[in-house]
Amino acid sequence: MSASPLIEIKDLRIRFHGDDGRITYAVDSVDLSVANGATLGLVGESGCGKSVTSLAIMGLLPKQSAEISGAIRFGGFDLLTMPDQTLRDLRGNRLAMIFQEPMTSLNPSFTIGDQIIETILRHRGGSRKSARERAIELLRRVHIPSPERRIDDYPHKLSGGMRQRVMIAMALACDPRLLIADEPTTALDVTLQAQILELMRELKAASGAAIILITHDLGVVAEVCDEVAVMYAGEIVERAPVDELFSAPQHPYTVGLLGSIPRLDYRAEQLATIEGMVPNMAQPPAGCRFAARCPFVLDACTRASPPLVEVSVGHLSRCIRAPLELLVS
Amino acid sequence: MSAPFVQATNLRRVFDVSKPWLNRVLEGGHLEYLKAVDHVTFDIRKGETFALVGESGSGKTTVARMVVGLLPPSAGDVLIDGVSMTDPRQALARRRLRRRIQMIFQDPYASLNPRFRVDAIISEPIRAFDLIQGERDIQARVGELLSLVGLHPDDRLKYPHEFSGGQRQRIAIARALASDAEFIVCDEPTSALDVSVQAQILNLMRDLQDKFGLTYMFISHNLAVVRHMASRVGVMYLGRIVEIAEGRELFANPRMPYTKMLLGAVPDLAMSGRQRIPVKGEIPNPINPPPGCAFNPRCPLAFDLCRRETPELIDGVACHAVNTAPVPA
Repeated sequence: MSASPLIEIKDLRIRFHGDDGRITYAVDSVDLSVANGATLGLVGESGCGKSVTSLAIMGLLPKQSAEISGAIRFGGFDLLTMPDQTLRDLRGNRLAMIFQEPMTSLNPSFTIGDQIIETILRHRGGSRKSARERAIELLRRVHIPSPERRIDDYPHKLSGGMRQRVMIAMALACDPRLLIADEPTTALDVTLQAQILELMRELKAASGAAIILITHDLGVVAEVCDEVAVMYAGEIVERAPVDELFSAPQHPYTVGLLGSIPRLDYRAEQLATIEGMVPNMAQPPAGCRFAARCPFVLDACTRASPPLVEVSVGHLSRCIRAPLELLVS
Repeated sequence: MSAPFVQATNLRRVFDVSKPWLNRVLEGGHLEYLKAVDHVTFDIRKGETFALVGESGSGKTTVARMVVGLLPPSAGDVLIDGVSMTDPRQALARRRLRRRIQMIFQDPYASLNPRFRVDAIISEPIRAFDLIQGERDIQARVGELLSLVGLHPDDRLKYPHEFSGGQRQRIAIARALASDAEFIVCDEPTSALDVSVQAQILNLMRDLQDKFGLTYMFISHNLAVVRHMASRVGVMYLGRIVEIAEGRELFANPRMPYTKMLLGAVPDLAMSGRQRIPVKGEIPNPINPPPGCAFNPRCPLAFDLCRRETPELIDGVACHAVNTAPVPA
């Protein structure tokens, strides 16, 4: 980790106030940082708060219902206290995002060229002609065949993989420093996923942008990330360099998650499962949020919320029983 | 081993995707047909799990729908326990057979009627086939089925919206078992679920198979899930089975270049740095497929014969390069 990270999230807490007065604790005390040129994987299951975290970075959460506290420092500014106008200048420019479903995130009534050019003109200005040339160049960079013709196509004419390439081209339009990719390959077939991941690796090497990759697929993380943060019920439960997370996971949830993935290289009789269900985030449990499903639970786990502590260099776990190797042998 | 339980021979299904007649007259254009499935032949033995894998649009769901009789084939036939699913003369036998065939669908949010209580959902097959008389016995059976799939018997009084995705899929499984089905067609049963929930459902399905000697036909795009579940696997590409083999054999020694590409595209959890065939191109348009072998534009081994003739499935592989020439390793 370099001395000054590109983006630093400190003690981020997000609560949603429902119409019926119910409060949902979506994200709790999240600390994260990403260095220039690094790729961080944010992993977890539905509802763990990974997408909400990314939307908070982009300033896309609804102001009336979401209560956000903490700090998100990006290039010396705090994104949370920044005026909307300044944030709009950053968004799509220095900060860019790729969404999961390329069909719903592209406007069906404009050509893909219009949509890329709009971004360029908004942030870079210049003539429409030069913006169009830049758009063609971007489409070529994401390997869309014959971009001069494709630029005037409407989204419905493109396949799912092609649409996601257009989304990536649009995100890259202004050379962002930070790219947030929220489940960029989940809606795609494996072969297209492999192509998109390859493209992301290639573009990262060329541009040096930092990437936050949000996914539920640990396989994707293994392929492209340098560091991984595992989220459970709104908290980061483990953070580690990618190979260490896979070889020596230090939180029981991560262990369960890894065990529950069917493997291609061998066939297990039974998959490991995590018993029970995720807690209701309207009333998060006191103490460790994983305690009710944890095979290693102690009395102490349910009394106080465990801190995120360093188990080995650069490897943090929110478990008072870590290191876990001592428990199983 | 006696005759296979399910025999599909030369299944073919063509969809008419032409514009409406009036538009054809006014705007020009001609009839267009999409050959969704062609020359698909396979057997399923009693008690085994036969899987079909392939990318979106490869025709796997169309095959599943023809096997259970939801969609009449354009040509070919399916025999289940000796009864034809198409022959009008066997309508009576087919009606008796229906009870023994059930299906589990991909999206548990769409496949359960939101206005039905769980007991009504699960008892529907029991009532439809008149399997149990007396309300009290029916309710007892529903409770028994719910405990079988890991839910509480009292859950029968709830509505589907009160359950999570994994629990809903359990309800769908209970419904499939309600008529004492022997053959269950599962169309992407876990692709809408999180990995840890997916593991629970896959384990449940394997337990039930052991317990009741169920025969599964398993449709999935996820190769690792197929590896975990299937005893035999058919790989589909653009409506045809291009390779069919014992699960272990297929994953250890894929022979068809498409299978190799597909396996190579799966993100690698072990990060073993295995050799992979890079993914080239996209699935061609099925309305206008390339002549010869549909895979030839993307195939590294393609030669002139591949562009002329569609290869037959010989010895489990439909590939000219594999079947005529010794393959370079």
